[in-house]
Amino acid sequence: MLEPVPAATGASGAASLVASGGQAELLVLEDLHKSFGGVRAVAGATLSVPRGQITGLIGPNGAGKSTVVGLIGGSLRPDTGRIEFDGRPITGLPAYRRARLGLVRTYQLSSEFRRLTVLENMVAAAPMQRGERFRVLLQGRRAWRDEERQLASKARGLLDRFALGDKENEYAGNLSGGQKRLLEIARSLMARPVLLLLDEPMAGVNPTFSRTIERYLAEVNEEGVSMVLVEHELDVVERLCDSVVVMARGEVIARGDMSDVRSRPEVRNAYLVG
Amino acid sequence: MALSGYLATSFVYLGVYVLACWAMNLQYGVTGIYNLAFIIFQSAGAYTAAVLSLGPSSQNSSFQQYIGGYRLPFPLPILAGAVVAGVLSLVVGLVVLRRLRSDYQAIVMLTLSVMASLLVISAVPLFNGPAGLSLVPQPLATTFNVSPVTYSWLYGGFCAGLCLIVYVFVRRITSSPLGRALRTVRENDAAAAALGKNVNALRLFSFVAGGAIAGLSGALLVGYIGVWAPSTWGYAETIVVLTAVIIGGSGNDAGAFLGALLVPVLIVQGSTFIPQFGPPELVPALQWILIGVLGLVFVYFWPRGIIPERLRRFAPERPTHEPLLGAERSGSPTLE
Repeated sequence: MLEPVPAATGASGAASLVASGGQAELLVLEDLHKSFGGVRAVAGATLSVPRGQITGLIGPNGAGKSTVVGLIGGSLRPDTGRIEFDGRPITGLPAYRRARLGLVRTYQLSSEFRRLTVLENMVAAAPMQRGERFRVLLQGRRAWRDEERQLASKARGLLDRFALGDKENEYAGNLSGGQKRLLEIARSLMARPVLLLLDEPMAGVNPTFSRTIERYLAEVNEEGVSMVLVEHELDVVERLCDSVVVMARGEVIARGDMSDVRSRPEVRNAYLVG
Repeated sequence: MALSGYLATSFVYLGVYVLACWAMNLQYGVTGIYNLAFIIFQSAGAYTAAVLSLGPSSQNSSFQQYIGGYRLPFPLPILAGAVVAGVLSLVVGLVVLRRLRSDYQAIVMLTLSVMASLLVISAVPLFNGPAGLSLVPQPLATTFNVSPVTYSWLYGGFCAGLCLIVYVFVRRITSSPLGRALRTVRENDAAAAALGKNVNALRLFSFVAGGAIAGLSGALLVGYIGVWAPSTWGYAETIVVLTAVIIGGSGNDAGAFLGALLVPVLIVQGSTFIPQFGPPELVPALQWILIGVLGLVFVYFWPRGIIPERLRRFAPERPTHEPLLGAERSGSPTLE
């Protein structure tokens, strides 16, 4: 069980919450700060994500959740603070390098490659392909043909699994909203993630489809992929997540089981006041 | 004979502008780079080929002032034109492509285009200022010693040969996983980076490759027409190539070929053979109006062009089901 540590302060003076369990921590954020002009989006966020679990990241609008996801994913640079992934410091690494280490994110708004087919979307996501290197192209098609075939087979397997197999030659931009969400999750799996950052994967999806996505995420987690799930639907978080981190006003204010965190006055106040 | 001369000239221009359109297609159509400075790379190739083909400037009795003047033999000036344009693309790309959003890139590129023109006009010893360079020798003209029309056909054949080589090069890129990676950058660069693509490196590669091909097209053109002046390479020339790619079909090599035939050859060059009517500037003005209107119409109603980017299918194969977390990932060191 993870618990808040009262009165523990970092150099910034912000309260910090550290894991007290014996689990290996896959991701560690230390005292992250990020401002946009005069707006402090993240103010001293410190948290850790255990390996093999789904960690929920919740909080009212404007709490800094998406900013934290951006900082973890590498699309944003922190003003101060440190990020460590799988034992490696990654604070200064650009997004694509983090992805190659296995830290893969999805976006709140659908981010499919619209004018590529569904199957192309999937195959494109595989990392470090031989055929993406110019000097390999000089050797001709034979130098990358076999890898391409293997990737297409793997992609088709994943598409079948996510019930998108019959859409492989459809342009991704023509899919429905829910199908785009599934495609994005399936595509991220082609990138061989160790940790998946899911930024509101249920947003804009009807409740029935939302349950389908939940089921897929649970299955993927059972196969060893760790996750950080940003979500507003607290019922989903309670069903899916092993532990939950609560943010408000750019800070981490609580952590633990959903049922425990839900009853805390500071969490209730954060949702009421913002 | 007049018809043969017209066809031969059009054949040369087709070769030149097919190269230019493939370059623009690689940058804009495939990778999504709004290179509104395209003309400066074509001009870099043209000026390089010109000053390397011409003899020393002092031999022109101060008629023209320019750097270089090494009278290099064919095909060195043409190849050098491509190399210099590629290097210039690298320098510009490193500055412009890394940190700017695509709309700001377009603004900066357009500004660079105007600045380059002003620089060349002002720095007269560089490329003879606003008068430009003339009397650029045609490659191997004295060696073949044939009629102008026959030379045009031969030159057109040479351009066609280069087009074939460049087509193989471009096709290798666009039909490969590298081409697919470039298209992911075009579609959503943030998502591409989140999946491990080095977006900056991919953009730079496309920009430099396209820039070198643009320089090659400029070097070929100056070798044929023998002149190159700032008035002939304003930023509006970039719009001609861009419109050609949009109309023909952006993202499609065949579409870019068709666009080169329709816009720079049929509309721009074709209009020079129309009998003069009305005021002297009427036909050129109508030409620009036609290009602008066609561009707008296609952007609104047929944004993918006449030959759109084709749907790419993979060969039918049995799907495989692999573990999500490969051994190389699950064996990573853990924090204790």
